[in-house]
Amino acid sequence: MAPALQFEDLVPPPGDAVTALKFAPTSSSKLLVSSWDTNVYLYDIAQTEINQSPLITKFKHQAPVLDVCFGDDDSVAYTASADRCVNRIDLETGQISVLSKHGAIACAVVYSAAHGILVSAAWDSTLHIHNIRDPSSSPVRVALPGKPHALAISPSKMVVAMTGRIINIYDLNAMRDLLSAGGGDLKPWQQRESSLRYLTRAVACMPNDAGYATSSIEGRVAVEWFEDTAESQARKYAFKCHRQPAPDGDGDIVYPVNALVFNPVHGTFASGGGDSSIALWDAEAKRRLRQYLKLPNNVAAMDFSNDGKYFAIATCPGFETGQEDYSGAGLTNVQFRILGDNEAKGKSSK
Amino acid sequence: MGKKKRGGHPDIEEILGRPWCYYCERDFEDLKLLISHQKAKHFKCDRCGRRLNTAGGLSVHLNQVHKETLEQVENALPNRQGLDVEIFGMEGVPADVLESHRSRLIQNFYQAQEDRRLATGNPLPGQTQSTRKKITIETAEELKARLAEWREKRKNGGAMEDVTATTTASHPGFSQQPFGDNIPSRPPPGVPFGLPQRPGDGVAPQADDIDNLIRMAEARAAADAGDAAAKASKKDKEKKGRMIYDDADTSPEERIAALPRYAYAAAA
Repeated sequence: MAPALQFEDLVPPPGDAVTALKFAPTSSSKLLVSSWDTNVYLYDIAQTEINQSPLITKFKHQAPVLDVCFGDDDSVAYTASADRCVNRIDLETGQISVLSKHGAIACAVVYSAAHGILVSAAWDSTLHIHNIRDPSSSPVRVALPGKPHALAISPSKMVVAMTGRIINIYDLNAMRDLLSAGGGDLKPWQQRESSLRYLTRAVACMPNDAGYATSSIEGRVAVEWFEDTAESQARKYAFKCHRQPAPDGDGDIVYPVNALVFNPVHGTFASGGGDSSIALWDAEAKRRLRQYLKLPNNVAAMDFSNDGKYFAIATCPGFETGQEDYSGAGLTNVQFRILGDNEAKGKSSK
Repeated sequence: MGKKKRGGHPDIEEILGRPWCYYCERDFEDLKLLISHQKAKHFKCDRCGRRLNTAGGLSVHLNQVHKETLEQVENALPNRQGLDVEIFGMEGVPADVLESHRSRLIQNFYQAQEDRRLATGNPLPGQTQSTRKKITIETAEELKARLAEWREKRKNGGAMEDVTATTTASHPGFSQQPFGDNIPSRPPPGVPFGLPQRPGDGVAPQADDIDNLIRMAEARAAADAGDAAAKASKKDKEKKGRMIYDDADTSPEERIAALPRYAYAAAA
């Protein structure tokens, strides 16, 4: 296991800390990065191979952008911004239009291309479900039992992690039925208590639709399966990670695990933490595959490209308890590496 | 007197006492190393990396966990791949295999010893050097007579050079011998003296040194791994973590969003 695995910088980096980083659904080298500096950056890694600047363009918002995701193809993106808006960006024309407005800062957006559904979450404990197939329809508002912190989508499910360790799993087909009925009450397919004792930081769904992983502010990752049978639930587990022995030798310093992402090809997943490190895990075999070289800063966001070729990460200073001020300006980096054929491959899938 | 160790060549008891692996015939410093070798090389599950204690254990593991059957032992010599023998460390090795291994070791040992003797001209351990010049024991009268003879020669001058020259040539270790009143202490018996090592001799001990180095490194690595594992498990139990961010209700993003720097004037 070679630990010396380098990442390459994408220059210029975003002007401030990164909130999300997403690869395009079609082109494997295009990615969107949302930032606190109110911009969304569109990069194309392939440009670096011909010595061109990878930054294609940026899209200025009214307020910091907290999340971004691609739409049906590489030309449409959706964002959640601090001005409470859910926005649609036409990446070709640069036109930004507001789809809906929450009662508080919108913190997350996910899109299911198969269902044509865009879901946004906001800190007023609501979800907005948008029918992208029918642009004239107004979004359906769904109340959540807690303040949402992370959203993740699988081919058939959506997972919402909230305060109070509540995790709701919604069925996307039920969501579509709700949209075609024009409204009503959306019941979660399942409501669970988080396996982690502390605030959930990130959620990611397995590409094979079997389950999901959650991470918390207390250096821990849990892996669970959707299937609600005793056997499936018995398989769930949690483990500690992203910790460092304290310099004074007394206990560990425990970092939040900010980012989780599954590899779409191999089904393994990566975790990125406040300890400035990234590890690759095999959820099935319960093993760590590799740990990357220490990065200059806290890992804020990560994503694998759709074909599993690229692995991109965003680093910026981490936010600590008691911190009075915060700025990621000048200290934020977006980096990528081209994965080796077996780099993210699980050991069991030999 | 304790056992004398010299020259980096272990004696036959030491060699025969070393534990060795039935599957690949490799030998080890101690049983612990052998067992960890077997777990890593021969009883490791290639599906999940789990290290079992025996081939039978691996077979059951593969069967139950991965629904596969173990065909043969990995990394084993062609005639040792079978699953019919249950090996754990040195236990379970069939008597005939033990005997043939033993006799091969003995044969190799004496062959190597003979080769070394031929290569270096050194005597076998425990044997006196037959080629060495015998020290003649002279009576006091004989010594005195010789001394007188030598003084006579010295008085004559020139002859002296001749005498020392011949002495040096015939037995270099005793170049001082002619000076009767200054006899050097005898070298310890059995140690060849004055003979420089022949270049050809360097090969064998060097190879052995490398083997020893490798084994020492192995032993150290194994010990380190053990320590690390022990430390890790201790840490889990004893140490309490200090969290970098410990707010159970508010996410770091909410905190950042609340800062004046990022606050959005909700005028719009």
